[in-house]
Amino acid sequence: MSSLARILGFRLAQAGVVGVIVGIATFVMMRALPGDLAFRIAAGRYGYDNTTAEAAAQVRDELGLDQGPLLAFLDWIGDIARFDLGRSLVSGETVWSEITHQLGASLQLAGAAVLLAMLIGLPVGIWCGLRAGSTADRLLILISSAARAMPQFLLGLVLIVIFAVQLRLLPAAGHGDVKHLVLPALTLALGLAAALARITREATHGVAQSSYYEFARWKGLSDRQVFFRHGLRNITPPVLTYLGLQFVLLAEGVVVVETIFGWPGIGHALIHAIFHRDVPMVQGTALVMGLGFVLINTLVDLAITRIDPRGDGRSSNRAGIEHG
Amino acid sequence: MSVLIEAREVAVDGPQGRLVEPVSLTLRPGVPLTIVGETGSGKSLLMQALMGTLPAGLQARGSARIDGEDFDLSAPGNMRRLWGRTIAVLPQEPWLALDPLMRAREQVAEVHHLVSLETAGGAHADADLETVGLARAAARLPGELSGGMAQRLAFSAARAGGATIQFADEPTKGLDTAMRDGIADLLIGRLGAEGGLLTVTHDLDLARRIGGELMVMLKGRIVEQGPASRLLAAPSHDYTRRLVAAQPSNWARRQGSQGSEAAVISARGLSVVRGGVRLFDGVDLDLRPGAITGILGRSGCGKTSLGNALLGLVPLSGGHVSRDPSILSHRFQKLWQDPPSAFARTQTIGRELNALARLHRVDRQRMDRLLKRLRLSPELLKRPPGQVSGGELQRIALMRALMVDPVFLFADEPTSRLDLITQQEVIDMLGEVVREEKLALLIVSHDGDLLERFCDDVVKLDHRDGTARQSN
Amino acid sequence: MVDLTAIAPAKTVRRPAPWAFIVLAAVVVLALLAPLIDQLGPYRQVLSKALSGPDMIAPLGYDHLGRSMLARMAYAVRLSLALAMASTVTAAFIGIALGMLASWRGGWTDTLLRLVSDSMLALPALLLVLIAGVIVQSTAVSFWIGLAAVQWIEFFRLSRSMMRSLIQSPAVEAARLLGFGPVHIFCHHLWPEMRPLLLTAAAFGVANAIMVIAALGFVSVGMRAPTPEMGLMMVELLPYWREAPWALAQPVLACFAILLALNSIAGAKT
Repeated sequence: MSSLARILGFRLAQAGVVGVIVGIATFVMMRALPGDLAFRIAAGRYGYDNTTAEAAAQVRDELGLDQGPLLAFLDWIGDIARFDLGRSLVSGETVWSEITHQLGASLQLAGAAVLLAMLIGLPVGIWCGLRAGSTADRLLILISSAARAMPQFLLGLVLIVIFAVQLRLLPAAGHGDVKHLVLPALTLALGLAAALARITREATHGVAQSSYYEFARWKGLSDRQVFFRHGLRNITPPVLTYLGLQFVLLAEGVVVVETIFGWPGIGHALIHAIFHRDVPMVQGTALVMGLGFVLINTLVDLAITRIDPRGDGRSSNRAGIEHG
Repeated sequence: MSVLIEAREVAVDGPQGRLVEPVSLTLRPGVPLTIVGETGSGKSLLMQALMGTLPAGLQARGSARIDGEDFDLSAPGNMRRLWGRTIAVLPQEPWLALDPLMRAREQVAEVHHLVSLETAGGAHADADLETVGLARAAARLPGELSGGMAQRLAFSAARAGGATIQFADEPTKGLDTAMRDGIADLLIGRLGAEGGLLTVTHDLDLARRIGGELMVMLKGRIVEQGPASRLLAAPSHDYTRRLVAAQPSNWARRQGSQGSEAAVISARGLSVVRGGVRLFDGVDLDLRPGAITGILGRSGCGKTSLGNALLGLVPLSGGHVSRDPSILSHRFQKLWQDPPSAFARTQTIGRELNALARLHRVDRQRMDRLLKRLRLSPELLKRPPGQVSGGELQRIALMRALMVDPVFLFADEPTSRLDLITQQEVIDMLGEVVREEKLALLIVSHDGDLLERFCDDVVKLDHRDGTARQSN
Repeated sequence: MVDLTAIAPAKTVRRPAPWAFIVLAAVVVLALLAPLIDQLGPYRQVLSKALSGPDMIAPLGYDHLGRSMLARMAYAVRLSLALAMASTVTAAFIGIALGMLASWRGGWTDTLLRLVSDSMLALPALLLVLIAGVIVQSTAVSFWIGLAAVQWIEFFRLSRSMMRSLIQSPAVEAARLLGFGPVHIFCHHLWPEMRPLLLTAAAFGVANAIMVIAALGFVSVGMRAPTPEMGLMMVELLPYWREAPWALAQPVLACFAILLALNSIAGAKT
């Protein structure tokens, strides 16, 4: 199946380029930091506590740091290619163990937010798309435009002030209980739900206006039959594509929301790592976010090829979605 | 029952006034009824009013007795139950009307299941596809079907609900003229003595082939009606007469000129491959001043690529094109199939033509002469291309080409988007210009009648064996 | 058939609401003119007046350190707008140039540029800004670089896909056959068609950039105190929201108003 091979080939290349970009950025970051390079790399490998002048000298020798930045860079990229991410400069733990630890919390938060967004966004979008021009539809357009202008941190702020400070219903920070999850997940979900509802509305409206939707009714099918047999099938690919692309915004939201609510995920860890100039951790979180995007979108592509076997379906859907 | 549809005083109103004047019509079993008219005549609106499918903003008037039941067309809410069960609709451009993600067999089978409530819907669908020769395409998606196959699939899907009355809206639109007879046969094939057929079309040949009763519509009014055979042979209304005369098969053959001058452009052993498919191979052409050469072929056979290859717009995969080296390259020009797309959408036509005049130092008087020659109002130049009719725009495109004093013109289906009468005007104009300006014209079309009467020489391109045959 | 586009209710091509321009213009004028009437500047502290309301010297009141809110708001708005516009203009320039290159040259150039842009799409803007912040010492420059590094992708993708279809259109084919050069074709055929969508993308780009700047300020990894910046001001004034809600409301409302105005201007054009 050539379309399958093409998708996997493209996504593999994308993953490779993501790795190289992250590698370049973190390598330059490493070099830009003040202090001894070899010492920092050694600390990145063995942790600060285990780093001695000998270890640094060994690193200098082994990497041939005196040979110039190009070779050092290739070595740096080589480490990434082997998924050897080193150790955190702050905790001394390996980056892998730190990240696997935090990823669970982030996935919990992001998963809850996406689920919530879909539960709100999909039905509302479909409902309004089938009734374009109605009061509900115009209200949706208004709300989704306003939501787009509402930064997540402001929303989080408002939710904290209302539910945590004024009403004292929910905790503003912490982790472990379901009640801790509510506010951050809601903060993350509301913007996503508004955008998803809007995109679903556009896709539904487009399908409902199409000649094939009209012809299906002319064939004698009821509205319900037309929607479930011809509507859903055609609405799904663009909405799925959109959800895949939203992963970047989700990752951004995770960074902000985790920091505001003190949620111990990788977004929180990234801000910490930046604060402490912990390059290996920055690199690790950046790779997880970038490769997570690639993975999610590979799954989206594969799902879409099952629904839409046309070879060109994906590209046209992608092009159409950018400015929905 | 002796009458399938008895419609009284059907009219359509739009926000700016009446679009279809009150019309009464009768559809009898076994006797097809065809409404003929040009773009904007209101013929499709009339059909939509009878089905209760007018777009929002339009209002139908009048009443109809359909299959023994009375309907008020101004309140079409209860007409929906007719769809699929009493009236089957073959939509315009059926390849757009088929669900792009559903395989052919299922598009028919679902109607048997859900509308006719048959348990063996799949078997019925297979039988339907077999009848229209699509048995081997059952598992394909609409995007993998040719225009004619999509037409037949839509026909089967529309009829699967068991309707006895067939509506067909412009069934030949977007299809090659060669497919016309097949569509007519498809439509009358299922008619029998009991069924009804109402067709709306701009295509007189289709109307002739279908036969039965004919109504001619002009600007929202029926101007003439009667048996098709009589009406098309001896039209009485002036408009019908002009319409019939404008049909290419009724044109007089153009006085040919056997140019003996040296060819301005020649091709030897021309071959073009696009997307891994060899479109044609070994084509030889000599295009001489004052001579008209036609290229006939079905859509997708590569006839446009042939002209583009001569103009250097498409890379050759074999053979060579030779032009007289003393002639500047901009004197080889082209006319496009869709006139509005050949002009910058965002500026007035005048601005574009003035820029061209400055570039090639064309003086004002020559432009005025050309405007007059092509019977174009100078007012048109103040408008953007979207506000000019197709026929006028194609003449403006011709004027634009003439401004650079061309020696060769490639006309790519220049009239396939135009109405019959406008088509004849544009083609006549083209013929006059070729004679006066002594230019070599290469015209591409899928309409054999048109080429046969207009060209000195016709080349047939056949996609299947990738060769060209010269006739005439 | 009758041309239904003229009859049927036209697909809602909304014009930007006038209020959006008025709000945006008001905020910009305030930011530009405030320093003329302000006598304190954004850093001068009058500790005795901390969190007190408006007076003649500070018409918008004082913050928790007794600094003039008017002066600080004016500087914050100017900073955000200037940074956001600088990065968007840079990104538009790079993105459109690369988009033209890709659609013009095609082949490997196109494939490579698409792969790089698609891959950069996988990286959140916040992340690139944060990394740039570690590499470059100046926070403002890091925002400029980091934001432009993300924003060019949208301009590249838009201009590339539009140019590809436009270049193959009969109108451009005609212009070429008639002897017009690339400059004429760009000015008369390509740019007029691309301009509305690119302006929309630019408005969204400026809005997103303002949002990123404020978000990072809010989580304390953006602009550093005492620089006046809206996100930073919000987080600084948050502890005093009971005593001086008016002070906290200023950056919140200004930020929301700018974003809403930009989004509705952009949204109206799509």
